[in-house]
This record gives sequence, C-alpha cells and structure tokens, in this order.
Amino acid sequence: MEQQRWSDWVRERDDPRIAHTKPEALDDITVLDLSYKSFAGCLCSSLLAEFGAEVVRIEPPKGDFLRTCTPYGILYKGEGLNYLTEGRNKFHITLDLSKPEGREIFKELVTHADVLIETYRPGTMDEWGIGYEQLKQVNPRLIFASITGYGQFATMSRSRMPDYDSIAQARSGAQSATGEMLPEGKSYDECPWAVPTKAGPWIAWSTAGTFMAAGILATLHWRGITGEGQALDVATAEAYARFDDYATLWYQGAGVVAERFGSLDIAGWLYCFAPTKDGAVFLGGLRLEMWQAFADMLGKWDEWGAAEWKSMAPFTQKEEQLKWSSLVFEETRKYTNEELVKMAVEYGKKGRLAPITPVVAPVCSPEEAMKDANWLDRGIFMPIQDPIYGELIVAQAQHKMTETPIRTKWVCRPVGYDNQHIYLKYLGWGPSKLKKLKRKGII
Amino acid sequence: MAQETWQNYRENKHLKPPPLKGIRVLEICTIILGPAGPGFLGALGAEVIKCELPPRGDTMRQMVPFAYFFRDQSLPMMHSNTDKYWLGVDLHKPEGQQIFRELAAKSDIVEDNFRPGVLEKWNIGYRQLKEINPHIIYISKTGFGQWGQYAEENRPSNDGGAQAFSGYAWMSSFPGRPPLKSRLYVCDTFGALMGEVAVLAALHYRERTGKGQFIELSQTENIMRAMSWVWPYQQITGKGAMPAGNRDVSICPADTFRCADDTFVAIAAAAPEEFKGLCTAMGKPELAEDPRFKDHLVRLKEENATAILKIIADWVRTKKPEEVEKLAEEYGFAASRVYTNKDVVEDTQFRERDFITTIDDPVLGPYVEYEFPVMMSKSPPKVKRAMRPVGFDNEYIMKYILGKSEDEIKELYRCGALGKWADVQGCRPPPEWDGKAGVIMARE
Repeated sequence: MEQQRWSDWVRERDDPRIAHTKPEALDDITVLDLSYKSFAGCLCSSLLAEFGAEVVRIEPPKGDFLRTCTPYGILYKGEGLNYLTEGRNKFHITLDLSKPEGREIFKELVTHADVLIETYRPGTMDEWGIGYEQLKQVNPRLIFASITGYGQFATMSRSRMPDYDSIAQARSGAQSATGEMLPEGKSYDECPWAVPTKAGPWIAWSTAGTFMAAGILATLHWRGITGEGQALDVATAEAYARFDDYATLWYQGAGVVAERFGSLDIAGWLYCFAPTKDGAVFLGGLRLEMWQAFADMLGKWDEWGAAEWKSMAPFTQKEEQLKWSSLVFEETRKYTNEELVKMAVEYGKKGRLAPITPVVAPVCSPEEAMKDANWLDRGIFMPIQDPIYGELIVAQAQHKMTETPIRTKWVCRPVGYDNQHIYLKYLGWGPSKLKKLKRKGII
Repeated sequence: MAQETWQNYRENKHLKPPPLKGIRVLEICTIILGPAGPGFLGALGAEVIKCELPPRGDTMRQMVPFAYFFRDQSLPMMHSNTDKYWLGVDLHKPEGQQIFRELAAKSDIVEDNFRPGVLEKWNIGYRQLKEINPHIIYISKTGFGQWGQYAEENRPSNDGGAQAFSGYAWMSSFPGRPPLKSRLYVCDTFGALMGEVAVLAALHYRERTGKGQFIELSQTENIMRAMSWVWPYQQITGKGAMPAGNRDVSICPADTFRCADDTFVAIAAAAPEEFKGLCTAMGKPELAEDPRFKDHLVRLKEENATAILKIIADWVRTKKPEEVEKLAEEYGFAASRVYTNKDVVEDTQFRERDFITTIDDPVLGPYVEYEFPVMMSKSPPKVKRAMRPVGFDNEYIMKYILGKSEDEIKELYRCGALGKWADVQGCRPPPEWDGKAGVIMARE
C-alpha cells in the first residue's frame, strides 16, 4: 500500500479545526494569575490556559489597568483590545488584596493551586503577607512565578520604576542597533526617523511571558519528581536581551559597539529587505549556493561572476554589503513583489542550482497578512465565537500538535464575571456570602 | 522575605539540580530557529545531542558580524548552542541514519528544522521514529509549517522572511518610512522558545499518559501571536494597523526621546500615580489634572497623545539621560537609557543577578554569556558548556550512550557515517587549542 503523503498525514492529525476533539495537556493544572498592568503576565497564563490549565485571573475590584492599555484608547464592548486578545480561556474573579480579609481568602485559594503568576513590584507580595516564603507554608507544592522589570534580587530590584515593554526594549540592547542609518551630513532634526527604533509589538513583554511559561512547565516536571514547588523570577529586560545573538560577544572580543545598519544585516549576506516596484521583499541567501542562485535568478550569473565565488566571507564585510546591496536593489526595483516571489519558487523547480533557491518573501502589512489564504487555511485567524464579545479574530494556533493541540475556547471575560462559579467551585461559597463580601468591597 | 528566597542564589547555583535533569534531546537543526530551542533545554539541564553533517556542519558556523570570528568561532552560533554534545554524522548514509535511529530510541525529544519531508527521505522522520520509540516527542520548526500552500511550494524561509511576511517589520517602523528589519533574529528565537513551551507541555502529557506526539511550528505564524491588538483592531475597525515609530499606541505616555546630549531615553508613565509623578518631575503638576490627559483612555486618543508626547520631548531635550532616570526613580515612573551592547555587558544589575555570567570553557576559554532568564529558587538553570567543533564529541556519544566498540567506531569513520570538522574558521577549534582540552573519551 502506498504510504500517505506526509503533509496529508500531519494535517489529518493537527489541523486546528479538529483541536477541540483532542485531549488537553495541562487539564490537571490550576493556575492563579494575579498579574497587574502586565501583558507578560497575561500572555504567560494564556499559554497555559490554551493547553487546558484552569486559569483563574484575580483582579482588584476595579479591574486590571491593562484593560485600558489599548491602541488610541479604543474599546470594543467595553474592553481594551490587548486585554481582549490574552484573556483567552480564563476565568475572571475579583479580590482586593490590599485588605487583610482579601488576603486571607487568597490564601485559601492558594491551597488549591499549582501555579501562581504575579507581577507586582518586588516586596509587595511580602508586605501583604502572601510572598513565596509565606505561601509555601500553605502549599509547599506551589510554583510561585514573578515577572517584573528588574527581578526579585540585586540592587535595582528595589527600584520604584514600573515594568513596561518599551522600557525593556530600550534596556535590552536590541533597540540601540535597530533602525535606519542617519544619512551622511544629516541631523536627527532633519531625519527624526533615523534613530534607535523599537519593535512595534509588545515583544519584550511577550518574550518575558513566554520564558516564564517555559520555566513553569520545566519546574512542573521537576515537581513531578521531587514533589516540591519553588519560586521563579523573570526580569523583562533580561528575557528580551537573551534574544540578542552576537552583540555581547562582539563587544567582548572586538570591543565593537553595535550600530544601526538599516534593513541590512550585520552578521549576514544575503540577508536584507530590498525595494521593489510596488513595495519591498526580504531576500535570504546565507549559503553560497543560495546567493549564487539569487544572482542566477536575476540573470546576473555571468555579469557578477557568480561561478567564481568561493565563500560568503568577503560579502559580509560592511563595505561589501553596501556595494552589493546597491547593485541588488537596482535589479529588484525592476520587479513587483509578486514577480520576485514567483521567480524564486520557479527557480527552485527549474533553475541551474535547483532545488536550491533564495528566500524571497514579500514585506506585508498586517492587513495583507490577515488576508493571506495560506494563513487562513492554516487556522491562524479562525474567528472565535465568544459568548460575551461575539465573533472575534485573535491570532491563535501558533503551534500545532497531533495529540494535545492548543485551542481558544473564548477570548475574554469582563471584570469579576466568574466570581460566582469560581468561589463556589473552590471555596463552596454561595450568593449570600458573595453579597456580603461585595458589600465590604472585598470582591 | 524575597531576600530569604534568593539569598546567595548565584553562589549556590551549582549545589542544586537543574529542572530537566534526565531528559535527552536529539537535535538535527541549523541556523537559529532550530538550535536555539534545544539550547534552552540544555540550560535547563537536559542532555542535548546536536547532529551536524560533517565536515562543515551548521550553516550558522559561517555567520559573523562583519566577518569577525571570536576565537575562530561564529558568535551567533555560540549563543544558540551552549550545553550540547556534538555529533558529526552524515545522514545521507544508511549507517548514519542507523546511528540517528539508535539515539532516537534512547531519547525523549527530537527536534529538526528542515523543510517538510526531508527527514522522511533520510528514514528518520516522525512516522519512522515513532515505530522505534512511541514515546518520542518530535518537533519540526519551519517557516510555513508542514502543510498549506507555502509548505507545498517547498519555500525556504528564515527570520527576515518571517519578519516580512507577518507584518511584524511593517509595524516596527516610522510612519511613511520603509518597513524595518529588527537587528534581532526575533522570529527565530521567539519561535524556538514557543516551540519549547509546546515540547514541555507535551512532556507533561507524556508523564501522565505515556503518549508522545508530533509538533509543528511556523515562525511566521508564531510571531503573529505577539502582535496582539493588531488583528481584532483590523477586524473591528476595517482599517489596516499603522506603524508608529517608537511611540507605543496602547500606552501613554510611552516613547523614546532625544536628550540634550543627542542620546536617547525611553519613558513610560501610564498609571495615574506614575503619570502624576512624571508631570511633577517636569515641573508641570497641573498636566495630571488636564482633562485631555487625566484619564488614560482619553490620553491615548491621537491628538491628546501627540500633545503630551510633544511636551515630554521638549522637556527631555534639556536633560541628560541619567537625570531622567534619577527623576523616574524619585517620582515613580519608568525610564531607561537606550542601552548599547556595551552597556548590557557592563550593567551591574545583570551581573549581580548572574544573568550576565561567565562560561569557563576548556575549548573556547572563558567568556561572558547570557544565563537562561528564568531564575529558579530550587532548580536553577545554568549555562556551562560552550559550543564545539563539528563532531567533537563523536567518541563520547558512540561509547557512553551507544556502547559501540573501538572497531565499530573505526568502521563508522571509514564509511563516512561519522566525521569531524573541516579545517576552516567556524568549524574547527580555536588556534590555541592543544588537541586535548575538552575531549571527553580519550586524550592521546
């Protein structure tokens, strides 16, 4: 019998459209998420919730400030858009931890939990009597995960400064060498865009939250062996700085302070954005054969002497990159994005060096990305039918698995929406008790 | 109390076991998207065996900033490949494939980042390996996943392609300027990290049920997840999301400002007490009560945000970055100079926390590297071992893990299934290497 094609075999098992029919990897885990004003915390608990962990978001009675952190102040059905995207699969309750009674209730909830995520300034939880050392008395198996700007120990940890994505991007060393080069003889006043440039998305917060999710899962494994919980500590700027690949070593070895190099690449050729007739494309050909294939694809095999090239080393020098990029850009400007992408796909089939072919990818706006049939087919933008917010699109299915795929059951909940369900489920408290607590302002 | 939890953390790290002790990972990956993931697991204490095709190995070995090699090594290669054992194995050869299968039978996790179907051709794809080891967790990380149009077209990909395709670069530039590529290989490393979240969740499931599984990750799809508000915004408003330079359009104020000395400082102060603090620091406490700025949601509106950011920009233009940082500390808002790589290496906080740590390596010598950035009070991660030349640990792996005899190993070299490094920069040991340091099995 002919074996089924690999792509069909996988798709039959990991298409996000059938995710709901499969088991969940973390449905034995309970997480309390009291992160506040931190997208890192919310993303972290989302990554566990989409694997089936029961995540209970604990907000102060007025709600998380993050709900107001929304582009241009836009609300959708009363909710900020960032919070809306990472409220997924979570139950939302309220509890005032600044009141002693609230903290006693919190300790009772902790007895039921495997994981606690918090993002308050270091020392806050201790002052409230619910720091790790106090809670481990209540629940020695607890994994106590803190995400903050500067971490739980060392001098700066006592800083009053709050944690923000943009601050961590600046602190990580990534922003300083990203951005357009200042044209010769020009000043910042003339070119206010030729400055150290941060990434638009909340990538530092996302990185911190994702590292913490990995840390939590690794320590769950360790807890399975030893039975012990522990405290975890992520500093947002460190998490994002960890993504730097060479700048630290470059400074150590050669004393070089990395500078902006536009959309070229300090550590590689061919590796840049190139202008086209109708926009720009990314070009990638880090291996000699791929760079040769690119030259060949443009009909420059002979003129550029591609057959004589022996290694990539000469091309990676700064001056060479500047020289070659202007030659390449002159060519790419003759074509549209679509033409260049097609040329690369065709070259991979019939070119002199096929199946070797350069990477050519269109530089898309998010508007174009969201309409791209490939991603729609792959289930990234499947609309969610949310019982409260209606039909909504959030990015999902960032990985696909044959046994325990992630899934998005709902996108978000309003403040305190699940008080009744969660307090009844974990503490056995019915409506009359909740009414009393509400009157006192505890929930 | 937190002091108690973290007392002498860096001094006592080596006294505690890492969390993934006893987990074995088999890696056949190149560049960053693939190797960085097992690199994370290595720091968490897993035993990682990295397979490379001899004699040149991972393409990344030739990638260096402006042709600068660090002790003959590729810098980004070093960064993604700590704490691994190095096998030079030719997987085009049946004998090489057999070695891979024998290792897979004894592993918990297999990771590749080849284009879809390549490893099946080498008889070591997921469907073949699960016959040998049904408990195996197998992840394949690529540009476009295992199925769909782009995968079918067999398109290659890399980080820059994902930055382009996803709209990430487009959202990370100044309005009216061309989209900008990040200096970081952010889609690679974020993809690698997210892949490990999936792997570790799968490990948890396997511990409960004994079942392994196949995981696929597309670096382009993955970075879209980090773009958050962009997608529902486009759906709800019917408009395309627009880039905004250094301004954070969801938090106000949050932007990067030019100082008196033409250096840059980032400032953020959104919560009421933070914003009040900033206004007071600027000598304009009345701004905190201004109806345009008092409420965060109102302050975020385009015209109000533009107005307050202009006021701050004018103020910062008269200050030095350290003055702004000092005021932030005093008044409780957030500020940081835009750090260079030099600032990061020399930062005392990073050192005190051992985030910037020293690897004392027998082959490459001592150097400074980043620690895995999750500090763990009872099972601290630790980067210990630097990368190695192609095939450096062949003998150790063949003998210690597979129990091969000297004759068998000799035969594997003879038929070309095993091999070592080419004598070129990036693949070979540093010039100072004495031929012995770091060799585990036999030093002649």
